[in-house]
Amino acid sequence: MNVIVECEHVVKRYGEVVAVNDVSLSIKEGEVFGLVGPNGAGKTTLIEMIEGLRAPDSGSIRALGLDPVREADELHEKIGVQLQTTSIQPNIKVGEAIKLFASLYRHPLDRPEGLLQTLSLEDKADSRFRKLSGGQKQRVAIALALVNDPTVLFFDEMSTGLDPQARRNMWELVKAIRAQGKTIFLTTHYMEEAEELCDRVGVIDYGKIIALDTPKKLVSSLGAESKVFFETGDKDITAAEFGGLPAVGRAEKVEGGFVLYTQDNNATLQELVRFADKRGFRLGDIRTEIPNLDDVFLALTGREMRE
Amino acid sequence: MRGLWQLAWNELKLNLRDPMMVFWSMAFPTLWLAFNALIFKQPIPGSGYEGLNYASFLLPGTIGLVILSASFVGIPITLTTYREMAVLRRFRVTPVKTSTLVLGFAISQLAFAAAGILVLFAIVKIVFNVQVLGSWLLFAGVTFLGMITFLAIGSAVGSIARSVRAANIMIWTVFTPMLMLSEIFLPISILPAWLQPIAKALPLTPINTLLRDIVYGVQLKDLWRLGVLAGWALVGGIVAVAFFRWE
Repeated sequence: MNVIVECEHVVKRYGEVVAVNDVSLSIKEGEVFGLVGPNGAGKTTLIEMIEGLRAPDSGSIRALGLDPVREADELHEKIGVQLQTTSIQPNIKVGEAIKLFASLYRHPLDRPEGLLQTLSLEDKADSRFRKLSGGQKQRVAIALALVNDPTVLFFDEMSTGLDPQARRNMWELVKAIRAQGKTIFLTTHYMEEAEELCDRVGVIDYGKIIALDTPKKLVSSLGAESKVFFETGDKDITAAEFGGLPAVGRAEKVEGGFVLYTQDNNATLQELVRFADKRGFRLGDIRTEIPNLDDVFLALTGREMRE
Repeated sequence: MRGLWQLAWNELKLNLRDPMMVFWSMAFPTLWLAFNALIFKQPIPGSGYEGLNYASFLLPGTIGLVILSASFVGIPITLTTYREMAVLRRFRVTPVKTSTLVLGFAISQLAFAAAGILVLFAIVKIVFNVQVLGSWLLFAGVTFLGMITFLAIGSAVGSIARSVRAANIMIWTVFTPMLMLSEIFLPISILPAWLQPIAKALPLTPINTLLRDIVYGVQLKDLWRLGVLAGWALVGGIVAVAFFRWE
C-alpha cells in the first residue's frame, strides 16, 4: 500500500494558540481516513496545510510525494478539494462552473458535464449558484472537486449544516467515490459519519491526535459494555437472576424492566431469550445500546463531543 | 495559460448579468453624453473646439469615462469581492496561476469596456452625427492603450487593497481628480496655470488629449506620453501579480 499523505510532527500556531500540536499520521492509498473532533480542534487547519493553503510552523508534510506549499500547482493538479465553505461566483451557472474549473487542469475528465448526472444536478445546470440550497451547493462543491479525476479527495465538514436526507446523500457519494479506488481524507464532527464512512479515524482534540485506529478497534479498546434493555410485566423476577447469563457484568432494575450490562450483547441476547422461555416470563421491547465513537471521545477527554 | 479564455469568457458573462455594471459601463456614458449634448449643443466659445458639434467634443472624454468605469473600477472590485467571499480561495486549490487568473479577469473587463465603447459609438454616431476627422485606426489604438493602462492600474489596486471598502476608497481617490482634471468635461487650457502640470501628469489626460486631437484632425504632439502610459501599464501589471493575495 502506497502512502498518500505523510505528516510528521506538524505544528501550527496562531499567536498563543497552538492549533495543530505535533501531529503525525499517514494516509494509505484507497482508504477513507477521517479526522474527527469538536469545532476548533484543529481539523481544518490540518487539512488545509495538507492542501497547501497554509504552511506548517514546523514538521513536515508530503502529499503524493510533494511539498504542498512549494509544489502546490503540481499537487493541485492531482487532488480534489471541498473547502469547509465553498463559494464560487454567485451568478455563475452550475454547468458553467464545472466547465470553467475543468478548464484549469492539465488532465480534466473527458466529459466533466457528466458529473451533473453523478451528483443529481442535471436539472440545475442552468441555475445560478447563489440560488441553490445548501445541499445542492455542497454537491456542486463535490462536483468541482472531481473535475480533474483526482487521486485523493479532501472533504472538510462535507455534511455540516445539511438536513439528514442531504447528509445521507453525501454519504452515498463518498462511498461511490471510494468504490472507484480513490483515497479520501475527510474531517467531521459527527461521530456517526466517521463510523459510517471511515476505514480509519484519527480523533483530534486541542490540536493533538489522541487516538487513531479503525472505528471498531477504537470502540472495543474502550472495553465499554453494551446495554441490553428489556421490559417485562413479571413482578417476581429480580435483577440478581440475570447475573449468571453469559457476558453479563451486572443487571439493574429500571422502570418497567431491566438493563443488563454486557461485554457481548449477541451472546447475552440469545441466552436472555432462552432464560425467559425456561423461567416462563414474557419479554417485551428489547433494545440494545452499543458503545460508539461518541463514547470513545467521552472516555478520552471526559467531555461530550457536542457541547 | 490553461483556462485563460474560459475565465475571461465566464467573467464577461457575469459582468453582463450584473445590472449595476451594465448601467455604469454601457448606459451611463451614453446618457451622459446625450444629456450634455442636448443641453449645451455648442462647444465652449473660445476654447478652440468650435469646429465640430459638441457631441464630437464630448466623445473622447466619454470614452475616458468608459475606460474608468469599465476597465478601472471593474477589476479591483471583482478581485476584492472575490477575495472577501473566498471565491479566490476556491481557485487557489486548483493549479491556476496567479497571472492567468488576473489576466483572465482583465481580458473580460477589456472586452466589457470595448463593448461599452461600441455601444456608445453606435448610438452617438447615429443620433448626434459625431465626427472623427483624424484616423479611426489611431483612435482605436489610443483607446485600446488607455484600457490596458487602466486595467493594469486597476489590477494593482485590486491586489493591494485589503477589502472591498479599501478598494472603493482607492478607486475614488484616483477617479475623482481624473474626472475633474483629465479633459473629460473641460479642456485643460481653461484650468489655472498651476493646475495644468498636475492635470497633465494624470494617466487619463494624455488619452483624452490624444483622442480629442484625433477627433479634430490636428497634428498630434507629446507622443512620448504614450510611453509613459505603457510604463504605467507595465508597473501596474507587475504590482498586481507581485502583491496578489488569495485571501
